[in-house]
Amino acid sequence: MSTATGVPAGQPIVRFNLQQRIEHVVTMVTFAGLCLTGLPQKFYTSDWAPKMVGFLGGIDAIRWIHRFFGVTLAISVVVHLGFALQAVASRKVRFSIAITQQDFRDAIVQLRYYLGLTEEHPRYDRFDYKQKWEYWSLMVGNIIMILSGFILFYPTVAARIMPGQFIPAAKVAHSNEGLLAFLVITIWHIFNAHLHPDVFPFDTTIFTGKISRERMEHEHPLELARLEGEGEGEAHGGAPGAHAPRKVG
Amino acid sequence: MRRALLVLVLVLATPSARGEEKGAAGSAKAAPEKAPAPQAGAAPAQPTDKPAAKAPESIPADEESCASCHTTDESMTLDLAGGEKLSLYVDRDAYARSVHGDMLRCTDCHADMDYPHQEKPYKTKRDMTVAFYEQCKKCHFANYTKTLDGVHYALMAKGNKQAALCVDCHGAHAIGRPTEPRTKISETCSGCHKGVYQTYVKSVHGKALVAGNPDVPVCTDCHKAHDIEDPRGGALSLRTADICGRCHTNQKLMARYGLSTNVVQTYLADFHGMAATLEKGKRAKGQGLLAPGCTDCHGIHDIQKVDDPTSPVVQANLVETCRKCHPDANRNFPKAWLSHYEPSWEKAPVVYAVQLFYNFMIPFMLAAVVLQIALHLWRVVVNR
Repeated sequence: MSTATGVPAGQPIVRFNLQQRIEHVVTMVTFAGLCLTGLPQKFYTSDWAPKMVGFLGGIDAIRWIHRFFGVTLAISVVVHLGFALQAVASRKVRFSIAITQQDFRDAIVQLRYYLGLTEEHPRYDRFDYKQKWEYWSLMVGNIIMILSGFILFYPTVAARIMPGQFIPAAKVAHSNEGLLAFLVITIWHIFNAHLHPDVFPFDTTIFTGKISRERMEHEHPLELARLEGEGEGEAHGGAPGAHAPRKVG
Repeated sequence: MRRALLVLVLVLATPSARGEEKGAAGSAKAAPEKAPAPQAGAAPAQPTDKPAAKAPESIPADEESCASCHTTDESMTLDLAGGEKLSLYVDRDAYARSVHGDMLRCTDCHADMDYPHQEKPYKTKRDMTVAFYEQCKKCHFANYTKTLDGVHYALMAKGNKQAALCVDCHGAHAIGRPTEPRTKISETCSGCHKGVYQTYVKSVHGKALVAGNPDVPVCTDCHKAHDIEDPRGGALSLRTADICGRCHTNQKLMARYGLSTNVVQTYLADFHGMAATLEKGKRAKGQGLLAPGCTDCHGIHDIQKVDDPTSPVVQANLVETCRKCHPDANRNFPKAWLSHYEPSWEKAPVVYAVQLFYNFMIPFMLAAVVLQIALHLWRVVVNR
């Protein structure tokens, strides 16, 4: 899915194209809207939920807002997957978000590095294992939310094509998956995009599409090497991770 | 020495402290008795020396002057301008036996009476009853105030003189305890709401009441007595989880009939209960539907046992009940409802499995994420 192209040294590197940036904004806005209108429905017995529902125009209004954002998100997921599949199938771009064995090896090296068992830091390609985990969590989560959401939107239609028990099961899945997504995003994504010492206070890459060469060297050295026309093997003596010790933070 | 002194002080202090406590409790208990019965701030002619509990023997002696005319001739009437004849006879014994018989004088309620009697402006009997609405409030202020929030008063305020007033339910001279016997309550309401009463006595609750079972709800248990809410528009139905739940979550009571006390909990945990909770206080507008409460599926006055073949929630009738709100529901649709059961391997294995998965998944994911962040920050600190 990588579409980044090489640029002269010293210039910021284009990491995300316009479509990817738009997809992120759509996801961000719809996700916020869905949380704002969904969580009060899940926690309706709390003190704050009825106030929030009232503020947003009542339960019926909240439901329609929720469905609007839900359908918007569903469309953006379909569009994303359509383009992605077509791009990967046409072999115009690498399937750089795919999870590979290297990700598991990287995760182990990263863990050893955190614990101080090694001074060797994994050298990442276009996406590190954390980014891939977040992407696929979001993708699987979105698909669960979209399917269960439509079951709850059209329960009588659902009852015609699946066992009736799937409808309350969809409610349990939608409610729990939504909470999980909310918690993971508030903890994980806020940390990585805002509080992470490398990007604090705000990682602008997903909005501008641009990333500095310095950060590329630091965070995605293998991709940088490829962009600059060096084969991985040549640049790293055949051993990714053989570079000088690299520090985080 | 010091310790001995301390013990002495404690010993001395303890009984007096107890005495104070007792005194405080005693006066607190006495307070409600001392407090005057609820009365209007500006109530005139209020007897201050209310006899608390005297044997009801007869009307107070100084009422003999009224009684000399009004308790002797049963045929005594007054022709009203509207053509009706107003009976002026009072059954002396019935009044004496009534709750007021030993404490109220005729003029406590008939405060506008003097002798010789002045002409009164009442064209009909009802005019007079309506004019007397304010009389009870002098003593029964709290209940009078509640009626102002009630549907009967709202109708009266719109000009419907037939709407029930105090005396329509309680009677005027022969007022007894309104709740004795318990069957009297529903019979009182049936005076106007005959159709509803006839439906009610055939219901699971009504049949039991008539058979002498005091456990079941009568009209006022759900509708309240004085601040009766207008049931139209659905606001009452949205509160049925609370209303029905008063008995149906009472374990002692439900155990007598082998009924589950989980019914309210499971309803509230589901989509309908959630929506009803958030819609509380709303009224349906036009064609808009409100979330269903207990009565929307189980029936209202015609409520039956859930295994009764005429019950709207028995399996054979359930799809028709769902169609009241979900018109395109098919035969499979009622299976989406777990019949007030908590999901379990026996009752709803798919739902239960999904719940178990997330019970594990959410803490696991969060722990993993927090651990990853903590390790990262740890190494950042070490590197510095």
